Amino acid sequence: MFNQGLSLDQAPPISVVLRFFLSVPFFGVLFSLLLIVYPADVLIPNHPTSLSAMHLFFLGIISMSMIGSLFQMQSVLGGKPILSPLGNSLIIHLFFSVGLIALAGAFLFHLSAAFTIAAVLLGSSLIYLVRLILPLLFGGVTHDTLRGMRLALLSLLLTAVFGAVMANSFANESFEALHEAIRTAHYSLALAGWIGALVIAVAFQVVEMFYVTMAYGNWYKRNVFRTIALSLILKTLWLFLALPYIWVFDLFLAAVLLGFGVTTVVRLRNRKRRVSDISIEFWYAGMGLLFASLLSHIVYLYTASALYETTALLSFALFSLSIILGMMVKIVPFLVWFHLSSQGYLQTPIMSNIIPAKQNKRLFVLFGISSVLALLSFLTPVLLSLSGIGFFATFALLAYNLIGALRLYRHTKTTSPRMSMDFSSPS
Amino acid sequence: MILLDTRGLEHPVPLEMAFSAFAKLQSREILHMIHTREPRPLFELVAKNGGRHYSYQDDEGVWHILMTRDTSIDLESCRV
Repeated sequence: MFNQGLSLDQAPPISVVLRFFLSVPFFGVLFSLLLIVYPADVLIPNHPTSLSAMHLFFLGIISMSMIGSLFQMQSVLGGKPILSPLGNSLIIHLFFSVGLIALAGAFLFHLSAAFTIAAVLLGSSLIYLVRLILPLLFGGVTHDTLRGMRLALLSLLLTAVFGAVMANSFANESFEALHEAIRTAHYSLALAGWIGALVIAVAFQVVEMFYVTMAYGNWYKRNVFRTIALSLILKTLWLFLALPYIWVFDLFLAAVLLGFGVTTVVRLRNRKRRVSDISIEFWYAGMGLLFASLLSHIVYLYTASALYETTALLSFALFSLSIILGMMVKIVPFLVWFHLSSQGYLQTPIMSNIIPAKQNKRLFVLFGISSVLALLSFLTPVLLSLSGIGFFATFALLAYNLIGALRLYRHTKTTSPRMSMDFSSPS
Repeated sequence: MILLDTRGLEHPVPLEMAFSAFAKLQSREILHMIHTREPRPLFELVAKNGGRHYSYQDDEGVWHILMTRDTSIDLESCRV
């Protein structure tokens, strides 16, 4: 599926990736319930309910999908297989999921002990993940996507460390002088370094290949991850040293993300074949939400208004969800088809029948309505409750689609005849 | 020789078309795929299902992939 080719000898079993993907709707439903039940609290920055919802979203939905994708991408792009992918993914998934439930519960119900459990389980699972994958990205082939993956994993590592430190503070209800610097570094690294860099790195591979567009420019590809890395390093230093003009680094990050958004939209609009594909709509929606997020954040830098801060974060969250959903509707059918074909099942369904197009369109419509309602929720919290109902339906449909694909995979394995291996012509 | 030109088709359509055509190949038949990039995943699928391939790039950068399920055919000699 990527330029470097998908090697069957290196790609992990399909269950490794689907384990993470299938957990996304579960955490999505939990997140939606918080929006439905506590809309006013979720809209207050740094409110415990808001922090609970935010972590369910960015860890349970976004990071869960990205970690599953990393298991697939590393093997494909890095050229070196992950050792014992089944066992390693099981450990990481288990610790990560339980740790996240503990963290969400800790914020929601003010449970000190749960913060400690969350720090141990989430911290260890993420550090273990980085320790497992990052060394495999060095010493072999090198290309821009690999550089982006390295930056994303390093950012994730630091995000996890800062997160564990803050969870300890919450557990002891004792916040050190540097708490605000740690908090800002934590979310800056998570949003720009982990999510931003990985989305850009993946886009370098998939936009050109999936939609037959021009490649991203070499100058941009060469410099984008350097700029993000340098901006994040300097911003973190500035935070801890309490130096002035810290907003300059946010402007650099915004410029890089804006360049990515504009370039992606131009490439998609000028693509060679204009076939109908709902995943493109997810990409367009994602880029629109990215622009909204950048604009809101820049306004926030100059006004310090909580409204713009919330809108920037909300738009960025929806941007990342849009890209994740757009990629899932492409990748899940491909993985099912590929793994069945590789085993020679003659009645392997075609990819467009694995998740029907109308189901994906419904997913996009539900996502769109829910997103608009969420973005308008500054008018009244009732709209956030309605948005929560929409997201509940979105994640329920996503679960239905994913489980349907998995059932089709299992059904084909048990019923389809396999290709004969004896093809030699008679001599 | 069966010709399959997938230039300009978006991934993963070429892969699906080529593997479907490969699965229907009869003895002594060769599938000639023309594509804009080297479809390495396809090579893995072909190899895992008892087939062989030979690929090369022409002067214009276009990839030609020859595939067969017959072990006695010399694919390199079938270059076009």
